[in-house]
Amino acid sequence: MLAICKREFIQSFKGIKSIIIIAIFLLTAYYSADFSDLLLSLSDDFTSEEKQIIHTVGISFLIMFLGMLFVMGLSHDIVNREMHERTIRFLVTRTSRTSIIVGKFLGIALFWFVCLLTSFVIISIFVHRFDLITLFQSASLAIYYSAFTVLLSVLIPKPSITMFLSIVIGIAFPILNGWVSLTSNVWVSWLKYLFPFYYVEEQNYSFLVVLLLAGVMVGIALLVFRRREC
Amino acid sequence: MLAIETKQLSKSFWKNKVVDNIDLQVEKGEILGFLGRNGAGKSTFINMLTGIIQPSSGSYALLGVQGPNDSIKKKIGVMPDYSSLYGSMTAINHLHYLADVSGKPVSRQHCMEVLKLVGLEEHANKKAGKFSFGMKKKLAIAQAIIHDPQLIFLDEPTSGLDAESVIHIHLLIQQLHQQGKTIFMTSHNLDEVEKICSRIAIMKDGRIKKSGTMDELRAYYQSTITVTIKHSPIRPADLSTMQQWLEQAGTQLDIKENHFTIQVESEQKIAEIIRALGTYKIDIYRVDVEEPSLEEIFLEE
Repeated sequence: MLAICKREFIQSFKGIKSIIIIAIFLLTAYYSADFSDLLLSLSDDFTSEEKQIIHTVGISFLIMFLGMLFVMGLSHDIVNREMHERTIRFLVTRTSRTSIIVGKFLGIALFWFVCLLTSFVIISIFVHRFDLITLFQSASLAIYYSAFTVLLSVLIPKPSITMFLSIVIGIAFPILNGWVSLTSNVWVSWLKYLFPFYYVEEQNYSFLVVLLLAGVMVGIALLVFRRREC
Repeated sequence: MLAIETKQLSKSFWKNKVVDNIDLQVEKGEILGFLGRNGAGKSTFINMLTGIIQPSSGSYALLGVQGPNDSIKKKIGVMPDYSSLYGSMTAINHLHYLADVSGKPVSRQHCMEVLKLVGLEEHANKKAGKFSFGMKKKLAIAQAIIHDPQLIFLDEPTSGLDAESVIHIHLLIQQLHQQGKTIFMTSHNLDEVEKICSRIAIMKDGRIKKSGTMDELRAYYQSTITVTIKHSPIRPADLSTMQQWLEQAGTQLDIKENHFTIQVESEQKIAEIIRALGTYKIDIYRVDVEEPSLEEIFLEE
C-alpha cells in the first residue's frame, strides 16, 4: 500500500496540469494573504470570526468551487487507466485489492493536503497566524473530492469517459452543492447531508463528517473493485 | 507438497463456460507446460489462479494455501498474457516499484542482476515506453521473478521473441527450475514445451484432455508410431504373403522396392516385424522409428 501511495503522490506532482494547479494555489495563497487587509477595508459587515479567517478566503473559495475540477482533472483515471492498459494486473497479482484502492486514494489525498498545507504556510508567513481549523476543513473537502474521484474511476472503466465527466462534474458539483444547501425544497434539501459544504459552513469540527462520507465512498469503491475482473 | 491444486475449477462468462471443472495437481519443483489453441481457456485458468479474475465455482490452493488469499501473493510471480508496462517508468524503476508493491523491497543492485538475467542490463535506465515488443516481454519476465517467488506463472513467455532471446529465456527458466522454483507456463510453441517442461497438460474447450510427462503422452498416443524399414530385395514368391502379414501387423502400409513404411501400435510390434522379415531371409539395412511429436499429439487432440 505504501509503495502505491508513494508512487501516486509523486506522480501527482508531475505534468503540466499539476504545475499549473500548484501555481494557482500558491499564487492564490500569496495574494489572498497580501490583499486580506484591503478586503477588510472594503466593508464593515464582517463579523469578528470572519475577520479572523479573511486571509484564507481565497484558498477556501478555490477549494470549494474549483477543488472538484482540479482533483478530478488530475486524477480521474487513477484506477481505470491501469485497468485500461492492464498494468493493474501487476498490482492485483502482488498485493490485496484493498491496498491498491486505499494506496491510490491516500496518494492523491496526501498530494492535496501538501498543496493546502504549503498554501496555508505561505499565508501564515504574511499574517503571522495559522488557521488550523480552516486548513482541516479545506483538507476534508480535498479528501472528499479524492474519494469521489477514486470511486468514479473504479465505477467507470474508460478513462475517456471519466475525463469528460471530470469537467462536467467539476463545474456542476459546486453549483449543485450550493443549490441543495440553500434550497427550501424539502424533496432535495436532504441531499445537503451527502454533500460536503454543509459541514464546513461553521468553524467547528463538523468537517469530520466529510471525512466519514469520504470513507464511505472509498468503501464502496473497494466493494466494487473486489468484484471487478482485471 | 503440491504447488498447485485445483478442484472442479470453472469459469463462465455469461453462459459461456470458458474453463470447465478442471482438476489439476502440480508438484513443487515441476515445470508444467500448458498447451492449447487460442481460446482454449489457458489464460483464463492462469488468471483465476493468480487473482486477476474470480472463479465461478470450484476451489484451488497455491503452495498449500487455499485461494484466493492475499498472503500467498508474496510467494508467486506472474507474467500476464498481455503485458503493458508503465511507459514513463524506467526498467529498473519498474522492478524496484513492483518489488515494493509485493512487500519484498529489493536493492537497485538486485534489480540490475535480474535485468542482466533477462538480457536488459544495458537498458536499465531506458523508459519502458520506448521498449520494443521483445524487450517488454523480457521486462515482464523480470518483474515476475524480482521478488524471488517460489511459484512462477508465465503466460507465453517467448512469443514474439527472436531466436536468440528465446534460447536466453529457456536457459533462464531452466536455471529457475534448478533453484527449485515451480514454473507454470503456457505456450503455443510445441517444441519449446517439449524441450523444457517436465510435464505437459493439453487443454481443449476449457477442459484438460490429457496431462503427463512427454513419455506418458507418447505412450498414450502410441498407436501412431511410424516405422520405416530399409531391406534387401524380397523374393517375388514371398511378396504377397509378406504383404498380407504386414497389413495385419499395422496400418498405413506403404511398400516400395527396397523399403516399406508402416504404423504400429507398440514397440513390441516392431520387434515382431523384424523377426518376421528374418524368417523370409530378408536382410534389414536400416530401421527408422518416428514417435509422435508433441505437435502430432496436440493436433490429434
